[in-house]
Amino acid sequence: MQYAKKLLDEVGIDSRRVEMFNMGASDAQKFTGAADEMTERARELGPNPIRAKKRES
Amino acid sequence: MNEFEPKVVAFCCQYCAYSAADLAGSMRLQYSPNVRIVKLMCTGKVDVIHLLKAFEGGADAVFVAG
Amino acid sequence: MIVADRKPFDDIKAMLEGFEKILIVGCGECVSVCMVGGEKEVEILASQLRMAAGKEGKKIEIGEITLERQCDREYLELLKDRINNYDVVVSMACGAGVQFLAEMYDHKIVLPATNTRFIGVTEGEGVWAERCRACSDCVLAETGGICPVTICAKGLLNGPCGGTNDGKCEVDKNKDCAWTLIYNRLDKLGRLDSIREIFPAKRYSVQTRPGRRIHEAFKEKE
Ligand code: SF4
Ligand code: SF4
Repeated sequence: MQYAKKLLDEVGIDSRRVEMFNMGASDAQKFTGAADEMTERARELGPNPIRAKKRES
Repeated sequence: MNEFEPKVVAFCCQYCAYSAADLAGSMRLQYSPNVRIVKLMCTGKVDVIHLLKAFEGGADAVFVAG
Repeated sequence: MIVADRKPFDDIKAMLEGFEKILIVGCGECVSVCMVGGEKEVEILASQLRMAAGKEGKKIEIGEITLERQCDREYLELLKDRINNYDVVVSMACGAGVQFLAEMYDHKIVLPATNTRFIGVTEGEGVWAERCRACSDCVLAETGGICPVTICAKGLLNGPCGGTNDGKCEVDKNKDCAWTLIYNRLDKLGRLDSIREIFPAKRYSVQTRPGRRIHEAFKEKE
């Protein structure tokens, strides 16, 4: 995960956009927590700069 | 589409996180509808290249759960 | 094996500024094993470059190929049909591979994606360490299989020097003193006698650059 973050940072894509979560099969709350947290982060950081550029053109 | 709706990709292990997501469904827990799940046999199979490709494809956030 | 590092992404990106059709060529030997220039790393670099270009709204086309190795013409020849579709070639092999590729296709711009570091071994998962400086006159028989030319900070042939300190080197406290290692190994092997032998001055004359070697069986042909 550290490696993936570094590779993204190098390109200029905020590495907070990627994360790893550990959970068990019965951790429903953990899953929804992770899903909401990552959606929240994406909202904060705005659209992926690659997608944004594509839409412009 | 003016309102920004993030696309989030989740790589889930079939046995843990996918079951957890499934359970969240049966428990009627609310969670972000922006998440698209990719079910895998095991998250051990996830390689950095899959994460990069997800971003290349336009994902706004990506997470691995397992 | 030959151990390399990947160049920082910004450096690679700067080298490729202005090129639109890029062929990335990996190598399946040493640089694959040290996780810097194999098939996987080719994919990663390609993905990074596409993302960086996408971010700036630029269009680029990237070809990916990984050869068995880049230090043999037979394998480099496989690029023959593809190479002309690209403006520039990025080689992820060691310096030797990059040069051989550039020599064979000397009408193409060939750029290196790696910094070649040393001849070494895999010490642990993801850890490589230098073991040989290719001095062309190996002394391992007398030094218990530990190379003083490489491991000793001063490359001393008749060590240890006065700075050896509890098994550590005076140049870097974090590094083992090569000659303490050699002493201990010879002791273990019951060959301590050989540490008394004085090595004559090193024969640097055999280290002429660039090195070249012809197998006996092929000498006449040359
Ligand atoms: S003495 Fe050291 S540097 Fe020279 S050939 Fe032997 S191992 Fe390599
Ligand atoms: S302390 Fe040992 S390794 Fe360091 S320079 Fe002296 S002999 Fe070489």
